[in-house]
Amino acid sequence: MTAPPLRPSVTDAHMSEFDDVRPGATRLDSFTYDDAIVRKFLLATFIWGLVGMSVGLLVALQLANPVFNTELPWLSFGRLRPLHTNAVIFAFVGNAFFTGCYYSSQRLLKARMYSDFLSKFHFWGWQAIIVAAAITLPMGFTQTKEYAELEWPIDIAITVVWVAFLVNLVGTMVKRRERHLYVAIWFYVASIVTVAMLHIFNNLVIPAGLFKSYSIYAGVQDAFMQWWYGHNAVAFVLTTPFLGLMYYFLPKAAERPIYSYKLSILHFWSLIFLYIWAGPHHLHYTALPEWAATLGMIFSVMLWMPSWGGMINGLLTLRGAWHKVVEDPVLKFFVVGITAYGMATFEGPMLSVKTVSALAHYTDWIIAHVHTGALGWNGFITFGMMYWLMPRLFQTPLYSRKAAELHFWIASFGIVLYVASIYSAGVTQGLMWRAFDETGRLAYPDFVETVVKLLPMYWVRVAGGSLYIVGMLLMGWNVLMTWRNRPAQYEEPVVTAAPLSGRYVEPVPAAVPTGGARKGPIGRFAAMDWHRRWERMPIFFTVMTLVAVAVASLFEIIPTFLIRSNVPTIASVKPYTPLELAGRDLYIREGCVNCHSQMIRPLRHETERYGEYSKPGEFVYDHPFLWGSRRIGPDLARVGGKYPHLWHVRHMEDPQAITARSVMPAYPRMLSAPLDFERIQKAVDAMAMLGVPYGDAVNNAPALARAQAAEIGAEIEAQGGPAGLGDREIVAMVAYLQRLGVDATRTPAATASTAEIIAP
Amino acid sequence: MTPESNGDRPPVAGEEARILDHEYDGIKEYDNPMPRWWVNMFWATIVFSIIYAINVGPVGSGDGWIANYEADMVAFREQHPEGAPTADASQLAALASDPSVLAHGKTVYGQMCAACHGDDGGGTIGPNLTDDYWLHGPSLPEILHTVSVGVPAKGMPAWDKMLKPEDVNAVVVYVATLRGTRPANPKAPEGALVNP
Repeated sequence: MTAPPLRPSVTDAHMSEFDDVRPGATRLDSFTYDDAIVRKFLLATFIWGLVGMSVGLLVALQLANPVFNTELPWLSFGRLRPLHTNAVIFAFVGNAFFTGCYYSSQRLLKARMYSDFLSKFHFWGWQAIIVAAAITLPMGFTQTKEYAELEWPIDIAITVVWVAFLVNLVGTMVKRRERHLYVAIWFYVASIVTVAMLHIFNNLVIPAGLFKSYSIYAGVQDAFMQWWYGHNAVAFVLTTPFLGLMYYFLPKAAERPIYSYKLSILHFWSLIFLYIWAGPHHLHYTALPEWAATLGMIFSVMLWMPSWGGMINGLLTLRGAWHKVVEDPVLKFFVVGITAYGMATFEGPMLSVKTVSALAHYTDWIIAHVHTGALGWNGFITFGMMYWLMPRLFQTPLYSRKAAELHFWIASFGIVLYVASIYSAGVTQGLMWRAFDETGRLAYPDFVETVVKLLPMYWVRVAGGSLYIVGMLLMGWNVLMTWRNRPAQYEEPVVTAAPLSGRYVEPVPAAVPTGGARKGPIGRFAAMDWHRRWERMPIFFTVMTLVAVAVASLFEIIPTFLIRSNVPTIASVKPYTPLELAGRDLYIREGCVNCHSQMIRPLRHETERYGEYSKPGEFVYDHPFLWGSRRIGPDLARVGGKYPHLWHVRHMEDPQAITARSVMPAYPRMLSAPLDFERIQKAVDAMAMLGVPYGDAVNNAPALARAQAAEIGAEIEAQGGPAGLGDREIVAMVAYLQRLGVDATRTPAATASTAEIIAP
Repeated sequence: MTPESNGDRPPVAGEEARILDHEYDGIKEYDNPMPRWWVNMFWATIVFSIIYAINVGPVGSGDGWIANYEADMVAFREQHPEGAPTADASQLAALASDPSVLAHGKTVYGQMCAACHGDDGGGTIGPNLTDDYWLHGPSLPEILHTVSVGVPAKGMPAWDKMLKPEDVNAVVVYVATLRGTRPANPKAPEGALVNP
């Protein structure tokens, strides 16, 4: 290979040309950039990326064959799946964002980070949070809401560290030596501000112990808040920060100007304003009021072009530099990453259309969609950025350019295998669920048939994911070897730049006018020089991004909470008994919601399979909601009363003994582990605090639970099951499962007996 | 960073004149107009969304998903009345003499029924299927009815919704053959004595 190694960048860190030289500006500041923190974040990105992807591989194996769940509770799918998603989103992608943000912000603002202490606090705080997540999630400590699973003490730590990051970046913006903020900074700031808002409002809980809490919202409202959060976690952790990274690293690597400044402005503001509305498209055909779903859908459709604005500005920036893409692995990663972004952001609006969602929701189609984004967009932008940064941070040429090329091809092939197999799995399962035969019966009434059909595709996914990880390991070796060639002492180039003067007048016109300029207010708006002024007011700019996302949020949140007709009450729906509540906590602990939905949609094939569709009023005591987003097993919304207690006992003990080809993990320890009756009081008290009408149970929850548990234990024995289960975890689980969905169709007599258990 | 120095050609004639005079860490920006098709598509999605929101003709949510579902169910039930049996008495009798059907019925029984009625029909959670005592009748049409609609109060599911018709029929004729066999651990009789 004769191609020259990637140039080390010490010379890149120059700042010789000052666009800010003004009469009177005589003093020049001398300063250095903090690259040590960038090196730390880069290493963390690699390590957590490898961890997150390896856990992903393990859960993929568990779906292909349940034997990989092992006997260890903390290695079962339900507990590891949240670890995989959190590790990839917040540990891998999060650290990648911080790596690029700390490197580029200092250079774009011509200032060292505001506080080295805050930088270090951010780094070590974030890694500690990840370690806490990696320990608590497998232990079953979870809030269950997707990507917001971490329990309340960790949530508080996240808030503190995140605010430190925000202060550090805003502080750097304030003491900057570059008059205007570049588009990358807009995206960084919008991401940080919005994530703070989403995180705080989705994680409002009432604690019931150090690692247990209940969402303050219930049912429909909780689902709404969760997907307002969940969808925008995708937006403001996976999308906008990486658009910021793209706007810095792509033009640096391609050495070409950004295609269109105006496009940057328009797609930035339209993206952040429209994105916030789109969350309800995750809840089509659920008990969410349809007006909210309609808003979610149309704002997703309108989001298509703003999303593509970023792709266009990226790909068109490469005009005149495509010959470099052939030679440079960095640009190859960027091109495929941006293309994957374009595909995922076309697919998103398409999936948000109600009729498409009817097929795709609960299937692997969604899993394929997010992996196009995560493996393609986030992964490849990160890899390209890391290969570009390595020689600059380690101040030595990249050890092996060939290995980087190989990484690109292996990972690309891995993505193709992964998404091709999982798209077909998703569409296959979706079509099987809805298929009817000529007699008007479901063509695949036995749910497990629709799972077994996917297993070959699950093995192809395992192969694709493995290839992606092989590529990752190759990069790890390259990082290690490059790092070993680093100088004994890193050079810290001294940069000089003039401080900003207090007085500044915007030059007019900022640019050669483009053709067809209009006059009047629209013309002035279209000329965008108002935005040029905003760009030199960092605090104002930050506030405006917050206003954009907050106002858009309130338009949806306020009606969701205030319109009573959204959730018509059902008189026969009563709170869970203390024992059922304990069972629900076990359901949450084991992550059952990761495979089982509790939400039957008003679609013929769903009501034929599962029974009457779910009503909003059925979930008024569900803190948190457990509707789920993926059906690897059947929906459980109306499983109550469908099978005898003993069926559930046997099924939890050994699912394959009941359904031979089931992929469900076994939970034999629930039959031996004693139920912690005393803890139930805390759970009931927390619920009562949230307004659940518990009556006397507030004072004697454990006794009530013991009575019901003994009764169920006796019934299990009467059915021919083992004796002595009356104080084991399994009775709580059975009690909860037998309660699911029965209230809405309950007879008045049965209602009275439940009420007795709650408030005798 | 002039294009020429990198061997690049300006991709659009005259574009270099549109370069903006600012620069961030060496990154420059063009003042190119937004692509026309992009702007048009953006407008198109906005217009579509407004039409969809006010629900005009085929573009919109129609009467809403609940109303659509109810209309769909009415039309479907007209075509396929609920509870129609998967076979009549004579069809079942014919199936009962087909060894391949009985073999298939045994397989289905092993997968779906054995968990509650025992591998040999002796009964565990569910009743004994081998003796002469029956809760819901021993004739083929009676067994078919029990299997199809289930006994929800006692935890017997409605298998009509969980099995294909040919599986339901096969398992029914297989269950009828269990009567009179000798299971290892027979459950105590339940129901009324029905003489063979």
